[in-house]
Amino acid sequence: MAGGYRWPPRPPNPGRAARWPVATARTYAGRMPADPVPAVPAALPAVPDGFDELLSANVAIVTGKGGVGKTTVAASLALAGVASGRRTLLVEVEGRQSFSRTFGTQPWDYDEREFRPGLWGVSIDPADSVYEYLELFYGLKRVQWLMEKSNAIDFVTTAAPGLRDLLLIGKVYEIEARKRADGRRMYDLIVVDAPPTGRIVPFLQSPEGVTEIVRVGPIKRQSAQIGEMLSNPRRTQAFLVTLLEEMPVQETVEGVAALSAAGIATGPVIANQVVMSRLTADEAGMLDKLGATGVQERAAAAGATLAPEVAALAVDLSEAHRERLELQADLQAQVVERTGLPLLALPQLTGATFGTDDLTILADCLAVQVGERGPRAREATGFEPAAWSRGAAHLPVGQAPPPEGDA
Amino acid sequence: MARDHLASARGHALDGAVEHASILVTTGAGGVGKTTTAAALGLAGARAGRRTLVMTIDPARRLAQSMGLDTLASEPQQVDLGSMGAFDGDDEAGEAGELWAMMLDMESTFDQLIDRHASDRKSAETIKNNRIYQTLSSTLSGTQEYMAMEKLHELHEDGSWDLLIIDTPPTRSALDFLDAPKRMTSFLEGRLLSLLMRPGMAAGKGYLRAVGFGATGFMKIAGKVTGMELLNDLGEFFRNFEGMYAGFKERADAVLRLLQRPDSLFVVVTTPQPPPLREAHFFLERLEQEGLHTAGVVVNRLSVDCDAAPPDEVLRDAAKAQPDDLEGRAVAGVLRLLADVRNLAARERRDVEAALFGMRLPALVEVPLLRSDVHDLTTLRHIADALTSTDPARLAS
Repeated sequence: MAGGYRWPPRPPNPGRAARWPVATARTYAGRMPADPVPAVPAALPAVPDGFDELLSANVAIVTGKGGVGKTTVAASLALAGVASGRRTLLVEVEGRQSFSRTFGTQPWDYDEREFRPGLWGVSIDPADSVYEYLELFYGLKRVQWLMEKSNAIDFVTTAAPGLRDLLLIGKVYEIEARKRADGRRMYDLIVVDAPPTGRIVPFLQSPEGVTEIVRVGPIKRQSAQIGEMLSNPRRTQAFLVTLLEEMPVQETVEGVAALSAAGIATGPVIANQVVMSRLTADEAGMLDKLGATGVQERAAAAGATLAPEVAALAVDLSEAHRERLELQADLQAQVVERTGLPLLALPQLTGATFGTDDLTILADCLAVQVGERGPRAREATGFEPAAWSRGAAHLPVGQAPPPEGDA
Repeated sequence: MARDHLASARGHALDGAVEHASILVTTGAGGVGKTTTAAALGLAGARAGRRTLVMTIDPARRLAQSMGLDTLASEPQQVDLGSMGAFDGDDEAGEAGELWAMMLDMESTFDQLIDRHASDRKSAETIKNNRIYQTLSSTLSGTQEYMAMEKLHELHEDGSWDLLIIDTPPTRSALDFLDAPKRMTSFLEGRLLSLLMRPGMAAGKGYLRAVGFGATGFMKIAGKVTGMELLNDLGEFFRNFEGMYAGFKERADAVLRLLQRPDSLFVVVTTPQPPPLREAHFFLERLEQEGLHTAGVVVNRLSVDCDAAPPDEVLRDAAKAQPDDLEGRAVAGVLRLLADVRNLAARERRDVEAALFGMRLPALVEVPLLRSDVHDLTTLRHIADALTSTDPARLAS
C-alpha cells in the first residue's frame, strides 16, 4: 500500500495573493541563499530573557485551538518551571484527566498532590469549589447534601450565567493568594490548562459578568479581586499554543487580539509540533537529480535496502516536507507579525513512542530558547536551538541563523 | 477474534451511509476536522444523487469558500456543483443530486422554541427579555448541541431533504448534547427552582425542615451569596416557564427518537492523537448505551504508512554513513525523513488500534494528511472519495 500511494495534488490557493504579505518569509537567510534582500526584518518582538522573564507571572493560563496540544505544552511549561526551581502547580479545569494520563499517575482530584519532586497537580471542579466556598465563608457543612438533593448544584455549576467559570477561576485565585508559613506564596508558578481559545475570554471575564448580574454582596467584592488578579501582568499571563497551520494560526491571531482587548497580558506564542528541517533547499534540489534510483543505490551501499516503491515514497515525502517547511516559515512570520508577540517552538518529536520523558525534552527546548540550560533539547532529533535561540526566533525552522554581516 | 474487528471495519467506507441514511451526525473532539468531514459527506451525498443539506455550527469562512459560498447563512443555500466541476465521468449521469449548506443560528432557534411552547405571547416575551434566559441559552452546557438537534428535527419534519448532515460543535465533551435534553428538563424541574417559583417561597417545609435548615434560612443565605436581584430574575424566569415543561420534554423525547431511528447515523471523527481518540472511544460507547447507531469512525490526518521501509535504526545508521557532501547530505536527509514518518505513522496506527481495540465498527476510514487546508471543491472531492471508497487508488485521481 505504501508504494502505490500518491499524494493528492496540492490545490491551487486562490486566496494566497490576497493574504497577509509574506514577503519577509521569503527573504530569510537560508531560504533563498542567492537573495540579496536584507535577511532580518527590523524590530522583532524580543524573546523573554531567561525563565525569570518567561515565567514572570504567578499564573500561566495556557490556551489554544482544540487539537493543538494545549495539555502537552502546559505540562512542558510546568516542567520548565520545576527545572528553574519553582514550586509549581499544574491545574486541570475541565476534568478530562489529561494530566494524570500524560504523567501516568492516579486520577487527579480536588486535593493538590505532589506527584514529582517540586510539581503538584490538581483537578478543580465547580461543584467542589461551591462546597468549599460555602463552608469557608458561611460555615455551611451540610450544604452539599442539600444542594445535591435540590438540584441546586446543577444550576450553579451548569446553568447560572458564568458562574461555573467564575468558580473555577475563583479557585485559581484562592490558590494564588494562599501563603506558606514563611509568608511566601504557596506555589511560585501555577500553570492552568485552560479552555480553548474560543471560550478563553468569557472564561477569564466571568468575574466581570458576575459583577454585572450580582450587584451587591461578597460575591461582587470577590469577583472584583479575581478580576484584579487576571488583569495584573505580574500575576497572570496567557500563553497561546498553536500549530503552524492556517486555521490554528488564524485563531491564535484572533485570540491574542481578544485577550489584549480584555486586558489580559500575553506571553510568547508557543508553536507546537513544529516540523524540524531534514533537507535544505540545495539538498532537495540534489535529491531531484538523484531520483528514487539514486537514493536506493546510496542507501543500499550504507546497508539500508529500500524497495523501489519505498524509495519513490521517500522522494515524494521529501517534496511534501519542503512544502511543509515553506508553509511553516510563512505562518511563523505571520504569527510574529500579526500578534506582535515572540514565538517559541516545540519540535514535533518523531520517536516511535511519546511519553513523560518527551515532556522533559520539550521543557528543555523551551529552556534553550530563552537562554537557559536545556541539556536534552538536542536529543529531540533535529531540534536546532541556535535557529530558535534568543533574537533569532523568526528564522525558518532548522535553518542556521544568518551570517553576521548579512543583516 | 477481537483482533480482526478493526481489519474488517477498515474494509468498509461510508458509501452505504451516504447512500441510505436520512441523517448523518458528525461528532468528535475540537480541531479534528468534523466540519470538513461533514461538508465532504454532503458532497458525497449529492454525488450519490441525493438532495443533501449540510448544517454546521462552525462559522469557518474557509469552509464556506471551499463550497463556493461567501459565507454561510442561517437559511439553506445551494452549492453550485456543476460549475465547480464536482461531478465527473464516473458519477451516474441523469440523477445528479443537490448540495445545500446552512449555519445554525442558535439564538433564533431557542427563541422559536420558546414561542412554540409558551402559553401566550406575553410570557414568551417576558422570558426572552429575562436576563437568566439570555445567558442560559449560551451557558447551559449542551444547549448549543441540543438546539442543533432541535433544528434537525424541524428540517426532518419539513421532508424536503433526502439526506441531512449535521456537524456538532467542538465542545469540551462531544457527549454533552445527549445529556442536554435531560439536563434542561431536570434543570427546569429542579426542586430548588420550584421553591423559587412559588410566591412566599413556602414550599420548603418538607425536606428542608427535616434537615433542620429552614427554607427561609436557605433563601437568606442564597440571597446573601448571590444578591437578591438574581433570585428575583430566577423567580420570574421560572414562573413564566411553568407550563412549558411538558412541551419541552415531549419535544426532547421526539428528538431523541428521531436520532434513534436506524437511518440516523453518527460519524465519529478523530485524528490519530490520543486525546481525541479517547473522546472518540467514549463517544462510541455512549452511542451504544443510548441505542444510537454508528456509521463508522473517520480518522483524519494520518501520516503516510511507511511500514515497508527498513526499521528506524537501519535508516538512521545508513544516514550517518553517508559522506559529507551535498549528495550525501541529501540522501542522509531523506533517510532520516523516512525514519521520522515511519515512526510517526507507526505511533499513530498503534494509538488508533489501542483506542478502538475490540470495538465493532461498521466502517473505519483513514484520511491521509493533506498537504494544505481545504480551499476548494476539488480538495473536498478528494476527501469525499476517501470517505466513500476503500480503494486507496481513488485518492490519486
